[in-house]
Amino acid sequence: MAAQGEGGRRDEIKTHFGTPEGSYKLMHHSEYSKPNRAGFNGQTNPPVKVSFITVNDGTASSDRFCFNVGKELYVYSYRGVRKAPDLSKPIDKRVYKGTLPTCHDFNLHIKSPDSVLLLIGFSAGQVQLIDPIKKEISKLYNEEHLTDKTKVTCIKWVPHSPNQFLVSHGSGQMYLYNEELPCGQAPPHYQPFKQGDGFAVYTCKTKNTRNPLYRWVIGQGAINEFAFSPCSNYLAVVGQDGHLRVFQYNTMELIGTMKSFFGGLLCVCWSPDGKYIVTGGEDDLVTVWSFHENRVVCRGHGHKSWVNMVVFDPYTSCVVNGSTTDVNGSSVEVLGLTSQQPSLGVGESSNHIAKRDSHNFPAQDHSPSVISPQHPNGRHVQGNHNASSSTLDTNRALTCISYRFGSVGQDTELCLWDLTEDILKQPYGKPRTSSVGLTALNSSSASLPRSNSLPNSQKSNSVGYVVGNDVSINAYADGHGHPIQNAVMNANSKFATLSVSDRKEGAEKKEHKRNFSLAARNSDKSSVVKSNNNRVQDNAMKMYGTMACPRLDQVPILEPLVCKKVSHERLTSLTFREDCIVTACQEGIVLTWARPGKAVTDDT
Amino acid sequence: MGANASQLEKEIGLEQFPANEHFFGFVNFGNTCYCNSVLQALYFCRPFREKVLHYKQQVKSQKKETLLTCLADLFHSVATQKKKVGALSPKKFITKLRKENEHFDNYMQQDAHECLNYLLNTVADILTAEKKGTQEPENNSVHTKPDPTWVHEIFQGTLTNETRCLNCESVSSKDEDFLDLSVDVLQNTSITHCLRVFSSTETLCTEHKYYCEVCCSKQEAQKRMRVKKLPQILALHLKRFKYMEHLNRYIKVSHRVVFPLELRLFNTSDDAFNPERLYDLVAVVVHCGSGPNRGHYISIVKSHGFWLLFDDDVVDIIDASQIEEFYGVPSDLQKNSTETGYIFFYQSRE
Repeated sequence: MAAQGEGGRRDEIKTHFGTPEGSYKLMHHSEYSKPNRAGFNGQTNPPVKVSFITVNDGTASSDRFCFNVGKELYVYSYRGVRKAPDLSKPIDKRVYKGTLPTCHDFNLHIKSPDSVLLLIGFSAGQVQLIDPIKKEISKLYNEEHLTDKTKVTCIKWVPHSPNQFLVSHGSGQMYLYNEELPCGQAPPHYQPFKQGDGFAVYTCKTKNTRNPLYRWVIGQGAINEFAFSPCSNYLAVVGQDGHLRVFQYNTMELIGTMKSFFGGLLCVCWSPDGKYIVTGGEDDLVTVWSFHENRVVCRGHGHKSWVNMVVFDPYTSCVVNGSTTDVNGSSVEVLGLTSQQPSLGVGESSNHIAKRDSHNFPAQDHSPSVISPQHPNGRHVQGNHNASSSTLDTNRALTCISYRFGSVGQDTELCLWDLTEDILKQPYGKPRTSSVGLTALNSSSASLPRSNSLPNSQKSNSVGYVVGNDVSINAYADGHGHPIQNAVMNANSKFATLSVSDRKEGAEKKEHKRNFSLAARNSDKSSVVKSNNNRVQDNAMKMYGTMACPRLDQVPILEPLVCKKVSHERLTSLTFREDCIVTACQEGIVLTWARPGKAVTDDT
Repeated sequence: MGANASQLEKEIGLEQFPANEHFFGFVNFGNTCYCNSVLQALYFCRPFREKVLHYKQQVKSQKKETLLTCLADLFHSVATQKKKVGALSPKKFITKLRKENEHFDNYMQQDAHECLNYLLNTVADILTAEKKGTQEPENNSVHTKPDPTWVHEIFQGTLTNETRCLNCESVSSKDEDFLDLSVDVLQNTSITHCLRVFSSTETLCTEHKYYCEVCCSKQEAQKRMRVKKLPQILALHLKRFKYMEHLNRYIKVSHRVVFPLELRLFNTSDDAFNPERLYDLVAVVVHCGSGPNRGHYISIVKSHGFWLLFDDDVVDIIDASQIEEFYGVPSDLQKNSTETGYIFFYQSRE
């Protein structure tokens, strides 16, 4: 590796960093934390997380935000790059005994300047719903730990539902609650509802409807985070077993899987257009997975430890419709979505689902075209729309696709990444770029008995498929055609790459079955987890060398655009906002970094 | 102790308790926790345990006492206990260890890593000698190089040391075998990163120039060490004890280094024989305390899906989420946790 070890003292903490778009500056006067930092020991506390909400109160300070630190939870008015308000006067402050807040989520739909709904998950498994402004509501769920005793790892309102929310736990289970329903006095009794490869869903059967409405058992070990797609139809779940699983949320179908290079996956985020998912994990890598191609697109190496949070920057992602010839300034759209849970329109959902259900995924799945072409906001990414004329028109000068995402890690560093078109278009199994730092590793790809005919065959494949389809069919042809080739060409490799498609078919056949075998009926939790157990382990081995978990030489390795140490403590949270980036660390210090040209000088 | 043992059984539950598995703590004979922790970790390296137990069956009692026979007796004694949990006295083994190596012949705290090295090397030597003894009469000439013993089959990997002359660009490489890898400890990193740094490129210049055989002169060169053959069990040692010249003593580096339960290597050579091995963490020797000759050693091991903490004669079941307590301290200001992972045993998934 060319990386020069840890030569000099790298302990210096950065207060600004440069990017192609300009310099980001730390706003010293907009630092938030608990008012009194004395004697703080954050070692074993849950990671500090930050949630934002904007209420239109007619003033310039319409943003509120909440963060947890240790046993405390604070809600402040967030003033962005401007001077922070008096920290000793939070909008709300809660101190908990015997249990620690671990995560939270504002309801972005039901809100007013004097009333917002905030869900909070806790280390002992409880969930609380509060209104930190009005301070009237305070509801508790799973108070007696009857549903789950393990810590809440992620909590989210279900998009477009006024009262449903999802809660994942360290036990590897995820529950759907309705905030209006009671939790009942007795432990819930479950009945199998749906089962698939590596997951099962149960309903809670009682005379009176009660919480939880559904129980999902996913993978092996803790669920670490989940995220709804921007269109709200899909749910991406990552866990300690190193799997990313993508579900059609309403039908509870598993439609895509990825495995980390090794170790647990800790965080997950959708691209603003819903085409890509990026994960971060215990392999120190960020991994980009293509939703439509059902494959790993690239991995990013920059962090020196585990990646705690990864998130797309919707404001810096540059998306151009490459099919139109009149590309000018106006069609270069900077996506204007809020970063947490950007929601696209709902209308596009139904035919979508139908197609996903066809089980011919991915070859006949057209869902990307549903999101893309006629979307009113035009915020789709599209490179090869005019597929019929030339499927490989990647060098068309005006086509530009670039996604920006950021990640923060236990190495106390912030990384920014640009996911550019040349990476996205690179066919599977044949990386063109090799990072400097990993030349050694990548150079091995050159010696693999593989490279010769790929580009050609890809072309012919694409042309063959193009006829009836549009948009990303080129990508499908890639995704679909290559594993087989790889299998042939890598006949000497240890893991048969062909197994991807075989296994997938098998798994989907299973999903067709609506009748459950006796084994499936067994609602005993441990037996379910156990039975998944071996399968997950086997999967990790089987998936290696496939598009769900490529070898290092099969996909490009991204290098970060920026990689800076910005804290003494490990970083736990990252949010992209229109005028700034917000980071938080384990100690509970929330920092605001002004975007280029957005810095405000405020005398303190 | 009795209370603890039965409680452990209760916590695991009778039905859940793995068949034919025994969780026995080892009594401490005055600062022998360095040895106890290593013994426990090795016992839960299944391939190693199986070979030791097999050795015990093979040799029966006619052999003269060696460190290996003492080890085999100890492992056999754990494996054949009627109870599932309890504590044993490894007295015979410790006595033998002290007798064989004067370094350990005292009541001071020792370095668990040195103990592991000594143990593996000694066992390998004993096996090699025994093999020779049985084979020599038959065909003396065939075996010029000793066959690898099962210690080598389990723990031995190969590093390849590549040096590229910056003048003529020629690369020379030299292989060397290892039973464990010792890597530097870097603050707020992962063990993965420490391994990457271990294999990072080093430039040899000024007084450290390299003698290039092609150029026939001393030249600047780039050097790196990468893994060519991955062992079945990868033993990783974090160099947490660092000699400080100005203090004239060793200090402990308690930096926070996270270690995943699953591992692949990034630092493999281009011609690596088996670079895709996927490893599972099976045991960790943990050092507690502030210095090398003070403090305490414990070990955490994985057995049949359970994580267990062995603290001399005390055995506890722990949740996997508690493992984070052994990562280390994230800043020099915080001195609260000094229980830090020290030696890691990763077993290859087959």
